[in-house]
Amino acid sequence: MSDHPSSQSSGYDRRSFMAGAAGSALVPLTARATVHEARAAVAQDPALPVDVTLRVNGQEKRLSLDARTTVLDALREHLKLTGSKKGCDHGQCGACTVLIGDRRVVSCLTLALAAEGQEITTIEGLATDDRLHPMQQAFIDNDAFQCGYCTPGQIMSAIACVKEGHAGTDADIREYMSGNICRCAAYPNIVAAVKQAAPEIMKG
Amino acid sequence: MTAAAPEPKANMGKPVPRYDAAAKVTGRATYGSDMPLDNPAYAFLVTSAIAKGRINSFDLDDAKRVRGVIDIVTHENAPNLNESKLFSNGGYAGTTIQPLKSTDIAHDGQIIAVVIAESYEAAREAANRVKVSYTAATPSASFDSPGTTEAAAKGQNAQFKEDPKVGDFAKAFDEAEVKVDASYETPTQHHNPMELFSTSCAWMGDTLVIYEPSQYVHGLKNGVAEQLGIDADKVRVVNPYVGGGFGSRGSTTPRTAVIAGIARRLNRPIKLVPTRDQGFTIATYRAETRHEVKLGASRDGKLVALRHEGAEVSSRADPYCVGGTKTTTRLYACPNVDSLVSIVRADRNTPGFMRSPPEVPYLFALESAMDELAVKLNMDPIELRRINDTTNEPIGGKPYTSRSLMACFDEAAKAFGWAQRSAAPKSMSDGDWLIGYGCAATCYPTQMAPSAARVRLQRDGRTRVEIAGHEIGTGAYTILAQTAAERLGVPLEKVAVFIGDSDLPPGPVAGGSNSTASTCSAVMMVCDQVRQRLFKALMPNESLTDKAKETVGMGQTPSTQAAKGDRPIDLEKAFDALGVGVVEEYGEWKPEGAPQDSFKAMHSGHPRLVGGAAMKDKIAYAFGAEFVEVRINRFTHEIRAPRLVGAFAAGRIMNPRTARSQLMGGLIWGMSSALLEATEIDARTARYVNDNFADYLIPVNADVPGVEVILLSEQDDHINPAGAKGLGELANVGTNAAICNAIYHATGQRIRKLPVRLENIEV
Repeated sequence: MSDHPSSQSSGYDRRSFMAGAAGSALVPLTARATVHEARAAVAQDPALPVDVTLRVNGQEKRLSLDARTTVLDALREHLKLTGSKKGCDHGQCGACTVLIGDRRVVSCLTLALAAEGQEITTIEGLATDDRLHPMQQAFIDNDAFQCGYCTPGQIMSAIACVKEGHAGTDADIREYMSGNICRCAAYPNIVAAVKQAAPEIMKG
Repeated sequence: MTAAAPEPKANMGKPVPRYDAAAKVTGRATYGSDMPLDNPAYAFLVTSAIAKGRINSFDLDDAKRVRGVIDIVTHENAPNLNESKLFSNGGYAGTTIQPLKSTDIAHDGQIIAVVIAESYEAAREAANRVKVSYTAATPSASFDSPGTTEAAAKGQNAQFKEDPKVGDFAKAFDEAEVKVDASYETPTQHHNPMELFSTSCAWMGDTLVIYEPSQYVHGLKNGVAEQLGIDADKVRVVNPYVGGGFGSRGSTTPRTAVIAGIARRLNRPIKLVPTRDQGFTIATYRAETRHEVKLGASRDGKLVALRHEGAEVSSRADPYCVGGTKTTTRLYACPNVDSLVSIVRADRNTPGFMRSPPEVPYLFALESAMDELAVKLNMDPIELRRINDTTNEPIGGKPYTSRSLMACFDEAAKAFGWAQRSAAPKSMSDGDWLIGYGCAATCYPTQMAPSAARVRLQRDGRTRVEIAGHEIGTGAYTILAQTAAERLGVPLEKVAVFIGDSDLPPGPVAGGSNSTASTCSAVMMVCDQVRQRLFKALMPNESLTDKAKETVGMGQTPSTQAAKGDRPIDLEKAFDALGVGVVEEYGEWKPEGAPQDSFKAMHSGHPRLVGGAAMKDKIAYAFGAEFVEVRINRFTHEIRAPRLVGAFAAGRIMNPRTARSQLMGGLIWGMSSALLEATEIDARTARYVNDNFADYLIPVNADVPGVEVILLSEQDDHINPAGAKGLGELANVGTNAAICNAIYHATGQRIRKLPVRLENIEV
């Protein structure tokens, strides 16, 4: 056994990263004053809780969070909205996709603080009074999932894909749905589902 | 009817939508890490940065200073756990390398510390602040690395019983008129199910509840109990939905007992959600393999000699192997066959099952070699398969219970347009794109395992089916509901199915594609018990079994019920006669040829799979044929696979919708295996370098323009009461060879090493 000790330590300094992030334009202008007040303290210790108000599926949610909490972890661990899934935590798989405003966003790469004041829509916010959203129904009709783990992200992404005007052709749908990995590989059925739901979504 | 719901042919169930569809599209389906916990602490793993050596010391000061850290567990203060035996050696574990036991490091990414904190963020930060001093040794990474050892699989792996052989291979090969002698290689692959390898453990007094994605809740329950040294009935595993398995969750991994032990000590629920990259080293993988295939044939294409030698990588600790020669030596008629499988031990974690474990690497080799033989014979590759098709396997002469291989070839060839292929390599193109057509056979053993079930019927027809099966995306809920509805003659919407909970009657591991055949056979049997009780109440003086068949359709396959003028039981009358409101039956079913200890083993979490080539007087496989068009850019060498066409026959198709989806996903898996997937290992450090979704290539939607699945009608009365052959692992087998065969057709270049990337093309 050769004898050359090596060591392992933290890859990067989250404190300095967060100090930068919290002070940057990532925090929207509408952010509440507490965020700004917390900024100095957070630079000292990011684990100190910060008050955040998130608008999720039309409801205001007041939370006290570690400043580094992502939208995904805020939804899952603090609001018990577990429909959005963690598949990589790196923005590589799309399982955590939610809408912020009209934009599809990987919620694992979005800090909760940065989403304050904006409308967040999750998979739980689509169906109304037991009526499924057309995209949800289309996923059922076309068997556009198997294990179902990527499905909430696929559906949120698919709705945005249609609204962006990227559902005109099969090739377009395939291209603009390629940010969402489905390991079961339901891809052809996902394309069929997006095609089915697109006209109804565009209508209103 | 959408393309997703094909019109059923003979011996197929209805393509009803999934039972769990609404839950899955609304986010209501709860996976392991979705389960609510009361005030959980969060765990984050620290994994080894070397593949071999030992830990000198930890410096935890910086980590402990992170606000919210509760504890940091290393080998110095880890809960004491019992050893776990390998599943193939009568145990439950996918590896016997137990972390946190000593300073020893046996593989890259081994768990060396667990940080427990009040929040996920704090646990993660502290884990990154754990400093480790190692003494590193030089590891052996893989084939060709100095320090590996190699030995025959037979004798060291209890599940690998024989190297099949028959006749005199050496003489026959020597004298053969046409020969192929070629070597093939397949890479390391990781399952990468979408759901991470999470574990939540909560104690209530001396009872442990585990929320974890598992393909075998009874195995996990018993395995963790054994490691903790507690009664198995004190452990409950709950996972109503599993975010993909592909074999990665069939045996226990070390993480579960570790988290359970820490939670017990802390007296608080603990939630662990490991990262994607940690999933590459804390669970199993498909090991890299090497093959040498020798085929000898007469000029008219008849095989006279076949030899398949395979080598597979495993860990130092465990003799894991897949041994696909049991299939490749039996697929075609050939009087002289020889084979050998060996295991190469390296400084790696122990590999494990990954979707079609033996068939993917071994059929890649055989079906590539068959294509090479067809080229040498100047013969159409489909015709070569037809000439060597057989009703009996050549090793023991046992008959296939049914075999629709050539029917699949013919159907798929027609749908694909094989007749338009010009046989010469490099003879088809479209502008800058060289076009190649290729095909290959696919197959998968038909396996069954003992299974229990409980069925409760109410007088209003509401039915409850309970079985500790698993919904890993296969459609388990759906086909169990269909089976009960058909068998009891109640409307499908009145059936409720409960699976994914070890408190339910034990079902088999969701592996080896045995679940459908096993669980549906069990549910059919228990539904018949229910019917018999009702029937007895209605007609107390009639003899049960025979009369029942005529009167209420018991024992008949659903497809023949209508023809025989079956009529439903009058539930109201039967319940009145019985004088009860509910009839509930429990039963244990085992397949023909199951070992004596089957039910005992079933209750203690040991699967007893039977079937495939291992049956006494017959052999059972599902078959298919797969066709691929590849396009290769003659300048950039970009490879595309615009069309995948597969035709499959697998006995009774319980639901053409879920079957088609699984086969479609399988074809895409096969394409991925051929063109994209490989875990790259740094040969110097024995560490994985592409352990994330950006670098470990998995198909996205744009990679998959056209997939066509054809389901053939097939009836097989010799396999199991459900008449079903597992098909979840059928479609991703032949694709590897089909794609390489198509690449040969496009370019004239034979590629024998997977995956094929543009840098491997030399046109």
